[in-house]
Amino acid sequence: MRQYLMHSIAAAMIGTFVTGTSMAQEMDLTKKETYDQIMTWANEPLDTSSYKKDGDLRIGLSAGYLSNAWINFTAQSVKYEASLHPEIKEVIVTDAAFNPTKQAADIEDLLTSGVDAILFWPVDEKAILPVLKKAHEKGVVTINIGYNFMRDPSVTSNAYVNQWTYSEQVATEFAESLNGKGKIFAMLPIAGSSAAVVQLAVLQEVLKGYPNIELISSEYGDWDRAKAKQLTENLLQRFPEIDGAFSPAGQMSMGIYEAFDEAGRLGELTLSPGDDYNGWTKLVTKEGKWGSVTSGLEVGRAATKQAVKILTGEPTTTAVVVPTRYLDPAEAAKLNEPDRADDWFKTDLPTEFLPQ
Amino acid sequence: MSAESKPFGHSTRLPSLEKAAVWIVLVVLLLVAGLSSEAFFKLNYLTNLLRQAAPVGIAAVGVTFVMLLRGVDLSVGAVISMSAVLCALVMDGRPENLWLGIAASCVCGALIGLANGILVAHGKVSSFIMTLGMSIVVYGLVQVGSGGTARGIVSPGFREVVNSRIGGVLPVLVICLLFAVAIGIFLQSRTRFGRSVYLIGANPEAARLAGLPVNRVTVVAYAVSGLFAGLGGLALLARTGVSGTNPGAGMEFDVLAAVVLGGTTFAGGRGSVGGTFAGVMVLFIALNLANVAGLPFAAQLIIKGLIIIIASAAHSWIGAGSGGRKQE
Repeated sequence: MRQYLMHSIAAAMIGTFVTGTSMAQEMDLTKKETYDQIMTWANEPLDTSSYKKDGDLRIGLSAGYLSNAWINFTAQSVKYEASLHPEIKEVIVTDAAFNPTKQAADIEDLLTSGVDAILFWPVDEKAILPVLKKAHEKGVVTINIGYNFMRDPSVTSNAYVNQWTYSEQVATEFAESLNGKGKIFAMLPIAGSSAAVVQLAVLQEVLKGYPNIELISSEYGDWDRAKAKQLTENLLQRFPEIDGAFSPAGQMSMGIYEAFDEAGRLGELTLSPGDDYNGWTKLVTKEGKWGSVTSGLEVGRAATKQAVKILTGEPTTTAVVVPTRYLDPAEAAKLNEPDRADDWFKTDLPTEFLPQ
Repeated sequence: MSAESKPFGHSTRLPSLEKAAVWIVLVVLLLVAGLSSEAFFKLNYLTNLLRQAAPVGIAAVGVTFVMLLRGVDLSVGAVISMSAVLCALVMDGRPENLWLGIAASCVCGALIGLANGILVAHGKVSSFIMTLGMSIVVYGLVQVGSGGTARGIVSPGFREVVNSRIGGVLPVLVICLLFAVAIGIFLQSRTRFGRSVYLIGANPEAARLAGLPVNRVTVVAYAVSGLFAGLGGLALLARTGVSGTNPGAGMEFDVLAAVVLGGTTFAGGRGSVGGTFAGVMVLFIALNLANVAGLPFAAQLIIKGLIIIIASAAHSWIGAGSGGRKQE
């Protein structure tokens, strides 16, 4: 029952951003071939001639929500990148606050205000497809941002982070750090979200190569540190032996760590790499192990650059793919900003563009 | 029965089966849980379970007073979030700001409760709508104030101390929870405010005609609810830190479920802080039981929900069987 309502909705929306629960073109998210196909699509050339605009440009940013640190940094990155292009005269930001109906209305409003491009991360892709179609018919560029990939005529382009690759980097490094054996559990995002589906599918795929690693339980921590801690406390009672935890999200890894620490069983814990969340990199710095996989925070800037390319008629591809990379503990420690809060990301944004 | 002659919250049939119903349910559930996993008979596990329950349990103490008055407080989840985020922001990683951060959270929680109470009592706004609206306002304020990221840093020592175990056994957070419950029981049973809450909740018009300060008691009850929610936020901050701007989201439902499980009804005038504490325990044992039993996630959801429904129904049947009123 815990956190099933507001929190679950919020977590589900974050899940939607991270991989998307529905695609314009339905895809099997549990198959590596799907992601290979996406990468093929991403590299296809995009005909930008019909979108070319002369003069000043106006960009709309339709945020599905802004109440999350990663999202917040992404939105600020869009604004910062726009400030580097003198042809962009205005960036209009709307926040749908997890409401798909409001997001559709927001995009309508952006169209009314005469924007040349709409960058967006959807609350619900299907809910905004009709209004994206309207944008497409008006010649407005539409760019989807995030870990999901939208394949639809009304979506001009994607600024994309490959969730399969990201999870694979985490799982592979994790399996190696266990020396290929042990009992592990998986701490996944909200049950049913495509992020959880993909992460579990990748883990199971990677574990095929490590038959001596046993997945003893899959838990759903809703991207919530407190819930991850509580679930781990229960697992520690249930299983006398746990050798490791697969947890690609740094904030949940912190909850796992605390539960092991308070149970006096920290010595037996091997954690998978987390992301570049500041709280996690603080922990990596303190422990000197486990590492990070970068979360593709540059995707906001990449989306803005892509919009400029399309609107100025420059050649480009159907999607811009932001790579993720495993950082060993020493490299991950360089991302740590000890004087900043846990809920933070190291960034090259100038001070005036940092979340305030 | 006059307010002076008998303490309220206690039936003339002491101890009645109705009052004991939630405790009977708790014991039965604990036995069932113990049969499925011996962890439930281990002191360390039980204290850990109480520690998990501390944020919800502390907030539930305050909400009990509001519900005894036939009201509801849906803003507690937002206040818990605000309290945790605000405290860390004010602390700013500095030891000298520790008490300032704690005080800021308590004062803000109480002020939000006060605003709820004034508008419910004097503005005649429905408590459901008032506190629902307030939760949205508070959530928005937290977003504006934090810029969308939980930027605060907890003072050194705060989490370490509050999250520790005395003698390696008794968690400090459990002591905090028990202290909050004790204060709630004292307020309920030993103060004019507590006695007035029962009288007003049982029959507001009669209480008004009898000259009780209905509005004042209502305002104080909501302020108490806000204060305890603020303390619940501090407990959450101590237990897990904050990794987002809405860490208490959804907790209002856990709080309401625990209070109702504990025997406090929406009809007012019935229930107790002690019952709420038992309700919190029932709720968290149900949550943990399904998890510790190692059921698949979908089955866990079904089992958790069923346990809550069965526990609530069993409580109601036991209460009705003893001549009490069924739960609303």
